[in-house]
Amino acid sequence: MKYLPLVWNGLWRRPARTIFTLLSIAVAYVLFGILSGIDAGFAHTLEVSRLDRLFTDSRFGAPMPLSYAQQITSVPGVVVVAPRSGLYGYFQDPKNFVYVLCTDRRFFSLRPEITISPQEVETLLQTRTGAAVSAEQARKYGWKIGDKVPIQTQTAQADGNPVWTFDIVAIVDDLNHPGGGGWFIANYSYLDEGRVTEKGTITRFLVRIKDPERGGQIGRQIDKLFANSSVATRTGSERSGAQSGLQFFGDVNFLTSAVLGAVFFMLLFLSGNTMLQSVRERIPEFAVLKALGFSDKSVLCLVVAESVLLCLLAAAAGLLVSKLIIPIARGPLSDFLLLLQMPWAALLRGFGLALVVALLSSLLPALRVKQLNVVDALSKRQ
Amino acid sequence: MLARIRQIVAVTVMGLRAIPDRLGASLVIVIGMALVVAVTISILSMSAGFMRTVYNTGRADRAIVLSHGSQYEFASAISRDNVLTMADAPGIKIAGDGKPIVSAEYLVAVLVTKKSDGLDAYVTLRGVGPEGTALRPEIKLVRGRMFLPARHELIVGKSALAQFEGLEVGSRVPLPEGDWTITGSFESNGDEHESELLADSETVLSAMRANTFHSATVMLQRPESFQQFQAALTANPTLAVDVARETQFLAEQSNYLNTFLTMIAYVVGGIMGLGATFGALNTMYTAVSARAMEIATLRAIGFSGAAVVASVLAESLVLAVSGAAIGAVAAWIAFNGNLHAVGGLVFRLAVTPSLIGLGLGFAFTLGFVGGLFPAIRAARLPVADALRAT
Repeated sequence: MKYLPLVWNGLWRRPARTIFTLLSIAVAYVLFGILSGIDAGFAHTLEVSRLDRLFTDSRFGAPMPLSYAQQITSVPGVVVVAPRSGLYGYFQDPKNFVYVLCTDRRFFSLRPEITISPQEVETLLQTRTGAAVSAEQARKYGWKIGDKVPIQTQTAQADGNPVWTFDIVAIVDDLNHPGGGGWFIANYSYLDEGRVTEKGTITRFLVRIKDPERGGQIGRQIDKLFANSSVATRTGSERSGAQSGLQFFGDVNFLTSAVLGAVFFMLLFLSGNTMLQSVRERIPEFAVLKALGFSDKSVLCLVVAESVLLCLLAAAAGLLVSKLIIPIARGPLSDFLLLLQMPWAALLRGFGLALVVALLSSLLPALRVKQLNVVDALSKRQ
Repeated sequence: MLARIRQIVAVTVMGLRAIPDRLGASLVIVIGMALVVAVTISILSMSAGFMRTVYNTGRADRAIVLSHGSQYEFASAISRDNVLTMADAPGIKIAGDGKPIVSAEYLVAVLVTKKSDGLDAYVTLRGVGPEGTALRPEIKLVRGRMFLPARHELIVGKSALAQFEGLEVGSRVPLPEGDWTITGSFESNGDEHESELLADSETVLSAMRANTFHSATVMLQRPESFQQFQAALTANPTLAVDVARETQFLAEQSNYLNTFLTMIAYVVGGIMGLGATFGALNTMYTAVSARAMEIATLRAIGFSGAAVVASVLAESLVLAVSGAAIGAVAAWIAFNGNLHAVGGLVFRLAVTPSLIGLGLGFAFTLGFVGGLFPAIRAARLPVADALRAT
């Protein structure tokens, strides 16, 4: 520790070089942070999607009759079945997409991650046109409890009007995606009584099962029930659905790891080159240190420490910037990546990477200093 | 003037010849730029390949009709009456059999398994009308035979065949009303339909117990017939439809994904580029201090500041552009032509000449910035001080 000033001075021997190196490494770490954020967002989506929650969808897209719910409930191992249908629409401008999820009481026991009090659930169920909306949407469109919200949809009501009006009765958050999750939850009865076509139908059943291990088996049992019905079903776990859904963007894992590989390589070159140059210039100085009685090992440590200091400083700066950028970028990017985030594990990985880069890039110069022959170096023969 | 140019050339060549002496530092620029360019154009090759597939699909002399306000085909509904009405509209090309070329189509998302990772994916089964082959002459059978109407038969596009399990000619696909047989495979000029399954629309419609189509696509007499056709449909009070040229419709459909990929490429490329520029600045400042004596000597014997600036800039640019070239070649070798699937559509990554040009231009700009400030410093170097220093 007492050599820290020595290491520090060595680092700042050529301030311009150190600053440029720091900047370029820091920039690479900003990218590292953002990519880790994307990766973490995807991983989080998978993590919170549960294996004990199954989705029963129509196999070929035709809506399913509501009566399926009873039959699904009768399958052994099934705890709750919540029917769900929906309206695709927008608020004021087609850009403000809103999915109105129409369901009943059972939905909330299946999705405990939605923060809604029992009283609010009662109010919602008692208000025919009631709706519980996510805090994010309420903020974006300036909705308050008690507001009447018209949603323009593709589904006409009995009078031909495709605008459905809802009364906001609750503003909710989603524990799995704090600040996100575009929930707009309304009563199935309002939808089904109001619409003309597809009456009494459901687009998805959410099924909670007792034993997550048996998801596959129960799913097959459910699908077997309806295999010969007019509308065949297809049941899968929420997890497998999330996996397929994330595939929409192609192989994001491959993309991020390929870019991270390139970034790592770049870092190695940047800091390696700086360390080589810096040590080459200071050969006589290291010789003096050795002449003063520093052991081979301690000069080696000095070089390694300098490299570690350089990389850690830059990593800290870069990760700090990305940590600051990510909450800002989440808003405009939410159309594309709902879940950009920056867990502490990613920060730790970043510092770990910095250490690896520091050690690798100081390897050559450190060995050179260690093997330095004092006499030759002082007489500038080396 | 000529003398000045000769000066610039002489100093530049001298600088470039000395690059091998500073190999380590020079490699920082070369490798930095190679990585920036390789990564940026690899990501852009996705959007280029995707857009190429989209452009191959659309023709200016085809128009697609969706119900009013529908953003995409699956959300639209076109009734049988609507189809009959629009078939009488002016501007539609008449086939050899005397019928207007209109294909009312119905789409089904069919669940399949990806060969690469065993995950679920959806492939579009497109029911096409009897005029489907006249409408899309680019569709050519490669193996087997065409599906027959009123039978549970379909044909598979070659990209879908390559990407998903169980779609070989002769295999059976679970669909409503039992298994359907794949009777043939087709290619279609590398377009979107190669990622689809095709069948007879009436057969699909009755199997799905549906009574409305999703969309209708027509062949126009000429690309210019579009306005006439659109005007006729819009003016008809019995129709509530949106008409779009196929090319424009597909461009709008692909906008989301294209924006996503392009944005990723620019963010990643921009950040890496910034890092590489700092690396280049570092290298060039080092190069200038290494050459301080040489530069001062040149200045002392009458070489101009411009010549020195040019030589430093040239060194930075040569390193940056050669790095970019390496990166572009690497991206081309690694990714060009690779199959990729995004959002159910299969396409080949395309490292196009314009992308390579973009990469080289990007590296040129970064190399210029990275060289400019060190160059100015070199030109301002106090001659006497530099000569005295040893």
